Amino acid sequence: MDMTLVLTAIFSLIGFIFTCLAVIEKDLPKAVVFSAVQSAAYAVLFYLLRAPDIVLVYVPVSVGLYPAALFFLIGKSERVEE
Amino acid sequence: MRRSYVVLVSLVSIVFVLAYVTTYMNALGSICSDTRYLAKLFLALTYNPDTNSSLKYFAAMSPEAVTAIVWDYRGIDTFYETTVFFMAIIAALTIYRGVTSPASTTQGNGLSLIVKVVTKLLIPMNIAVAVSIAVHGHLTPGGGFQAGAALAVVSVLLAVVFSGSSFDKLNISISKAVALRSTGLLGIAAVTFIPLVYNLVTGVQAYLMQSYVKADAPFAFPTHIWGQLISGTLIWLNVAEFLAVSFGFFVVFMLLSLREETVRKYLGVGDGH
Amino acid sequence: MDTSFLDRFLVIFALYNLLATIGVSIYGIVVRPHITKKIISLTLLGDALNMLTIFLGFKPFSIPPVLLKTDVGSEEIMKLATSAVDPLPQALVLTAVVIGLAVNLFLIFLALQVFRLYGTLDSRKIKELRG
Repeated sequence: MDMTLVLTAIFSLIGFIFTCLAVIEKDLPKAVVFSAVQSAAYAVLFYLLRAPDIVLVYVPVSVGLYPAALFFLIGKSERVEE
Repeated sequence: MRRSYVVLVSLVSIVFVLAYVTTYMNALGSICSDTRYLAKLFLALTYNPDTNSSLKYFAAMSPEAVTAIVWDYRGIDTFYETTVFFMAIIAALTIYRGVTSPASTTQGNGLSLIVKVVTKLLIPMNIAVAVSIAVHGHLTPGGGFQAGAALAVVSVLLAVVFSGSSFDKLNISISKAVALRSTGLLGIAAVTFIPLVYNLVTGVQAYLMQSYVKADAPFAFPTHIWGQLISGTLIWLNVAEFLAVSFGFFVVFMLLSLREETVRKYLGVGDGH
Repeated sequence: MDTSFLDRFLVIFALYNLLATIGVSIYGIVVRPHITKKIISLTLLGDALNMLTIFLGFKPFSIPPVLLKTDVGSEEIMKLATSAVDPLPQALVLTAVVIGLAVNLFLIFLALQVFRLYGTLDSRKIKELRG
């Protein structure tokens, strides 16, 4: 029973659950926050899969730049999806 | 919402049952197979400090295998990826053509005083970490694009915490950011074309984007400066890519932080239906 | 080396979670009518596909593809070559992340322009207003 493989399974499960929540949610700022949490779980999963270069790309891009650009878009247009 | 949670729990349990059945029946084979032959070649050839063997003709002289693949073994891929990113910035500038906003219309307040003081302490640390990631890209995990994305967070912080008028106060205009970005791209082009110029001037055989000696082309960038390892072209390409990517993101976030009334007045579109 | 039932189950469970994430994000792109939700689902799809590519080069109980010292002999290089993960998928995923970022940023700018011209971001209403 290796701790690395147990953590791999746990973080991929967290990523899947937050993906489902982000697609189902109708309030758009909450959906953006769910996708940011999913990206943080995926960053840890990239580290566990021995790919340190991609962790350094992923953390600023997916947790910082995508939610920032999407919040600018939501602030200038509609906020709730029907 | 109850129905959505039932769907979510049932999806997770379906995945669990399928994984159990697959493992029980051994359907996907072993997970600990041998390394592939191509991967063994890349890992064994990437750093050979012994200059008397004939393996030096295939080496990239960098102990970091991924950076060597990105800038030396598959360098033309990265060259064209930089072109695609350049096209995205050009498209963003085209949608906002003709928009100039004078400084008097972008007065904003930003966030409260506590947030401003803390951010003023954090921005120099961010810049230092980004430059360190760029310059050490050939020794540890890192490189040009990672450092550019880390510096782009500074532009988001400036636009949100200090409001859009901070760019005018710091004397950064959109044309200055585009000019700095073009300097980075020119750096990449210069490092790529130096072997070609060397061939035309002296007649010694050299290939485009060549970093170390090859069997029929004895041209090489210097691999050590004052005893420190710099791995030929890899450090110059990393620094030039860092400049290009970070100022590209500056342009994007400066355009996104303009106010809507100003943009609509300049673009001539109506208020919507 | 032989691996136990639990180790094999955990790796295959993570792989099947990834395939299910790809399916859910494709559902989000196709079925949901709001353009911002489509853009969010596109970023989720890109992340899941990049993770699947890294999974193809993964081997349990191995080391990252980095040499830790610069004065090495040939036996340490051979040890790295036989027990490290595959470095080629990581280099390809770096390129894929940058290209995905460029496309998604362009889509966000286009969505802003659509809102300025049509006043709404619901694709069912845009289909009636067009022209």
